[in-house]
Amino acid sequence: MRTLSIKQLKLTKVDGTPLLGPLNFNIEPGQVMTLMGVSGAGKSTVLNWLIGAPQPMFSVEGEAWLCDQRIDLLPTEQRRIGILFQDDLLFPHFSVGDNLAYALPAQTKGRLARRQAIEDALDKAGLSSFYDRDPATLSGGQRARVSLLRALIAEPQALLMDEPFSKLDSTLRQQFRRFVYERISERKIPTLLVTHDAEDIPEGGKVLELHTPDSTATPSIVETSHSDVPHKITLNG
Amino acid sequence: MLALAGICLTLFPIVPGLLWVLSPAFNSATWVELVQDGQFNSAVLSTLGSAVGSTLLALIFASLVTMWIYPGRGWSLAQKQLPLFLAFPHIAFAIGIAFLIAPSGWLARGLANLLEWGSPPQWVSIRDPYAISLTLTLAIKETWFLIWIMATLLGEQAISRQITLANSLGYSRRQVWITALFPQLLPRMGWPLVAVLAYSLSVVDMAVILGPSTPPTLAVLSWQWLTDPDDMTQAKGSAAAMCLMLLLGLLILTGRGVWWGVKKLYRNPSGIRQPGKIFKSRLLGGIPVFIPGWLSLAILLLWSVAGGWFFPKLFPASLSLKSFNNADFEPMFTALWIGIATVLIALPLTLAWLEWGSRKHHGWLYAPLILPSLPIAAAQYHVLLSINLDSTAIGVIWSHLTWTFPYMLLVLVGPYYSFDARYLCTAQALGHSRFQACLNVKWPMLIRPILAAMAVGFAVSVAQYLPTLFSGGGRFATVTTEAVALSAGGNRRVLAVQSLLQTALPLCAFMSAIVLTAWYARNRQGLK
Repeated sequence: MRTLSIKQLKLTKVDGTPLLGPLNFNIEPGQVMTLMGVSGAGKSTVLNWLIGAPQPMFSVEGEAWLCDQRIDLLPTEQRRIGILFQDDLLFPHFSVGDNLAYALPAQTKGRLARRQAIEDALDKAGLSSFYDRDPATLSGGQRARVSLLRALIAEPQALLMDEPFSKLDSTLRQQFRRFVYERISERKIPTLLVTHDAEDIPEGGKVLELHTPDSTATPSIVETSHSDVPHKITLNG
Repeated sequence: MLALAGICLTLFPIVPGLLWVLSPAFNSATWVELVQDGQFNSAVLSTLGSAVGSTLLALIFASLVTMWIYPGRGWSLAQKQLPLFLAFPHIAFAIGIAFLIAPSGWLARGLANLLEWGSPPQWVSIRDPYAISLTLTLAIKETWFLIWIMATLLGEQAISRQITLANSLGYSRRQVWITALFPQLLPRMGWPLVAVLAYSLSVVDMAVILGPSTPPTLAVLSWQWLTDPDDMTQAKGSAAAMCLMLLLGLLILTGRGVWWGVKKLYRNPSGIRQPGKIFKSRLLGGIPVFIPGWLSLAILLLWSVAGGWFFPKLFPASLSLKSFNNADFEPMFTALWIGIATVLIALPLTLAWLEWGSRKHHGWLYAPLILPSLPIAAAQYHVLLSINLDSTAIGVIWSHLTWTFPYMLLVLVGPYYSFDARYLCTAQALGHSRFQACLNVKWPMLIRPILAAMAVGFAVSVAQYLPTLFSGGGRFATVTTEAVALSAGGNRRVLAVQSLLQTALPLCAFMSAIVLTAWYARNRQGLK
């Protein structure tokens, strides 16, 4: 099963102060779990640990499992986790098409076949004839869509999103949110979303609230739905 | 007006001087004479080899080190060592390297102890005909500069996130650097690379110490010819100086051509992910590039306090401060007052240009940094000669300003332009004139970069060799001119002392800048 499981995750500052945990949770295929909490609660640290980025200020204990394989000991490039940042981070030396070709697995062979696969992906995203465009000439919304396509075309087994909607204006934000969630659900990718904005939480998604280290509250999961008042599930007692 | 004064004072007068210096080169007979000179071909070859070789090697070394240790603790460790080695003058470093690799140097002594040699080997390890020692020494020194440039570019958060992002797409560390980062970094390193190339092409002081002598590099040959009393030889010197500028132009065009071709290789990525090796410890990765610097400093220190030290002993038989007690400190004081005077003139010019000068059109002010220094120094001499200011203190200080001013501008421009304009606006709204607002608010708030720029300006002035020699007419012996002059002689202790004094001056300037900034900000958190 393509489930992302976090087991016994504990964050400690380098001076020994405990920051978070122990945390245990699962993200099912196609599910988006939203990680919320005030600044300094450890949201980005959890994300960075999952992707395998250096954590100079913290020591992290715990296990991350994806598709029944332990991934937290693997280098980033072997984890098969895609990431979407606040900025689109399109490589400026590549064209739009080359940005996607960079992500497209080598199994799709031959220049023509690779180009066709990318053109198809661009078509479905409403970006036909954008293959040779310079990323710098795209609008914010177009760049965001290309950035998501690049993450997805690499066929990740899980997706991490670090406030990916925060730099878009409100109309674009709604459109892009829908665009992202449709694709996640379609491809059944377990996704962890970090955000400050409650509007980013998808319908029926789970929310993990992190508290500041000095707070006595334990991290908890809240499940949301269209109409109901969210009900709370405590993860760790 | 004050903003333009800097340019009028430092750069404009050089233009007629350059035309004057280079005018004999517009005569075809001069070129025939130059090309037919027996030394010309070898000089061009060794110049091209050392300039292109050292620039490429410096780029490769800096790229490998960065690729290996960024980001991480090794990178932080390297960053801590960088300021020391950036302040290490080229000449002092070259002399240290000469002490290391000479036939009776530390390297040979180490081997002699291992292999039981009784006398120094018959190596041609310095002043070798192929300029290998010059090339490698220049490459190491410029590697530190390029690592510093890379550090400023990599400080941007977007770059470190791109590494994570490309890693998450399945690419190994090495592939990420080659496919995603270098193609972005290299175009932005274009001007620093041109500066390295221009310096390597026209370097005279280091070439005199480490470069070939029969014939020397083209810059040394041009310098020798330009200072010759014979008109035709001087004309040949002009043509050789112009040849250096042409070579620089040609190499820049070639570099651009190569880059244009390389860029094409990045089209249509194949998506092939190559497995990378996982290195547990990259902490020490940044150390090797600084080892020659540490060894060079260590051997200079040892020779400066060495008593008797015969081959093949690794360490002196006795240590004494005799060389320091007998040292001539006059060149140090001369360099000190020239440096202080230069910086005190350059500072108001720099601040005035940044505050009131054009923001769009200031790129050309950096021209002295990317042009060969030899023709500029010769041009300065001709200008000074025509107004009877050659061999005067004013002349020497003015000649130093040509390099000190743009370097100070370069250091200050970033912090100055990113300064929050609302502070100045607030001060002016309180009834202060713009100058008063700058004096009381803006410049005190920018005290850290201003002091850093002053330290850099001072270091640049201390390191000037050709301008001091040309404009000073040989009457102003500084630590730099003295170190080069002494390098031809045999007294290593005296040479080591002068080299250390040459190193101590910029180091003291940088340390003073740090201490003064800390003192000024002692009760002000916002300034730290």
